[in-house]
Amino acid sequence: MARLASPRYYLPVLLILLLFALPLFVKSPYYLHIMAMVLFWAYMATAWNIVGGFAGQLSLGHGAYVAAGAYTSSLLFAYLGISPWFGMFIGGLVAGLMGFLVGYPTLRLRGAYYALATVGFAEGFRVILTNTTHIGKWKTGGAEGFMIPLLGNAPQHMQFISKVPYYYLILVLFLILVLICRWIDGSKLGYYLTALREDEDAALALGINTARVKLVAATLSAFFAGVGGVFYAQLIRYLEPNAIAGPIMSNQIVFLAIVGGRGTVLGPALGGLVLTLIGEITRVVFNQIMGLHLFLYGLLVVLFVIFKPRGLIEFLEVLWNRLVNLLERREGKHAA
Amino acid sequence: MPHRALLELRNVTIKFGGLIAVNDLSFTVNEGEIVGLIGPNGAGKTTVFNLISGVYRPTKGEIYFNGENIVGLKPYQVCQKGIGRTFQLVKPFGNKTVLYNVMVGAFLHTNNTHVSREKALEVLKLVGLHHRKDMLAKNLTIVDRKKLEVAKALATEPKLLLLDEVLAGLNPAEVNEAIEVIKRIHRAGVTILLIEHVLKAAMALSQRVVVIDYGRKIAEGPPEEVTNNPEVIKAYLGERYGAARN
Repeated sequence: MARLASPRYYLPVLLILLLFALPLFVKSPYYLHIMAMVLFWAYMATAWNIVGGFAGQLSLGHGAYVAAGAYTSSLLFAYLGISPWFGMFIGGLVAGLMGFLVGYPTLRLRGAYYALATVGFAEGFRVILTNTTHIGKWKTGGAEGFMIPLLGNAPQHMQFISKVPYYYLILVLFLILVLICRWIDGSKLGYYLTALREDEDAALALGINTARVKLVAATLSAFFAGVGGVFYAQLIRYLEPNAIAGPIMSNQIVFLAIVGGRGTVLGPALGGLVLTLIGEITRVVFNQIMGLHLFLYGLLVVLFVIFKPRGLIEFLEVLWNRLVNLLERREGKHAA
Repeated sequence: MPHRALLELRNVTIKFGGLIAVNDLSFTVNEGEIVGLIGPNGAGKTTVFNLISGVYRPTKGEIYFNGENIVGLKPYQVCQKGIGRTFQLVKPFGNKTVLYNVMVGAFLHTNNTHVSREKALEVLKLVGLHHRKDMLAKNLTIVDRKKLEVAKALATEPKLLLLDEVLAGLNPAEVNEAIEVIKRIHRAGVTILLIEHVLKAAMALSQRVVVIDYGRKIAEGPPEEVTNNPEVIKAYLGERYGAARN
């Protein structure tokens, strides 16, 4: 209880409670959908950050892992009747395996090679998805896309009429992922990832098998991206290769994480929250200009890389510390 | 003290294209010794360190550590065998604290953050950097950066420590301070091979020195003997014994 009395603890708790309480006040399915999508992007940016931020290896092809998760669970559900609740795990594993296979040969190289490999792989995967209409007897839809059979309200198959369960589902996934990232950050893996990001030669000299550590990060990141893909599939219930596996997905994730603050636990999530909200607003206000939000994201990335390379999280940290200090001083006065 | 060879280089040669950077070099470092590797600029000293630590693979020759041929091992494997090294151009993880930097090294023998922190604090006390543990590495002065570089390597608990010009760029007072640190590390049971350009310091520290020039060994022996060797004087002072270079 004494710990809870400090603003350092009760403020995050309050914030999380607020997130859980939001659906009590927001009833419109449209806004609930947007809120779920905002959390989805925050989740994706956080997942990407494990390899792109912590390990500092620029992956520009996370769309492939999102698609791998989404298609795996959806096909297993449509043709074998396996519930997406299990499919979520299997989809994550398939995506993780893909992340491992892309990373294994390329993470030994330095610099842009990994980034190039991820672009090449994701594009290849998108083209395959676009041009494959069947896997054996299973229809995947190719360029037309794949519709997930609608069952109405079927919680056991992760389908809901209301948007509220989707919101809670992604909120829980997001919070779990943030906790995992916090744990990574403070563990041996986190120290090793930081070391190799800051100076790979120095890391090697300290006995760190940098290739293996990078591979662990890439695999974990792809796994969580795949899990996110399954959620996306259940929310949208329509998979289109270009939208899910293409550069729009891959690049957007990277933009959010960079603007929010690469390599920090909460930065990418913050980027996801703020930018997606801005994106939604511009979509409503300037609805005749398609893709304006992507243009804005691009502009923000350029501005942040030049002027605030540590990202939005820097502002939040300042604000946070001020608020905590203020509250602590006030409590100090009360006690006195 | 038994003269057991901890490190042994046998006829080690490396060529970069047409350039022979290290030429048929053989020497040993015995357990418990401090050996100095000296030579003029460009003699190939750092290349020798890079060969030992696995950054380069020799074109010819073998390197034995604890009786085991370590040629072909990756740098991280060499470190895991028990050889720590520092870099001439120090490589701190600048955006992290001193303690964080040293903990990275200390994680080699544990997965536990608490154990790693205790080990790191112990090492920081040994090198005299404990009072700076919460400072960001990039804000350290040059002498503290050098100490941090040593502390990181030391945290991996090496049997042999390769020190690459840790005294370069320090003022005389700092050199003395650093020498004391090196002696303390040696007393703690670590064998040391050091590259030094500051000859006086190298002579004061080393029980034995190996002199190389153009990648070849030109002399080896106790410091006072080596300084009187005509070939060494020639290598350092030039053919006509011109102005002192250092």
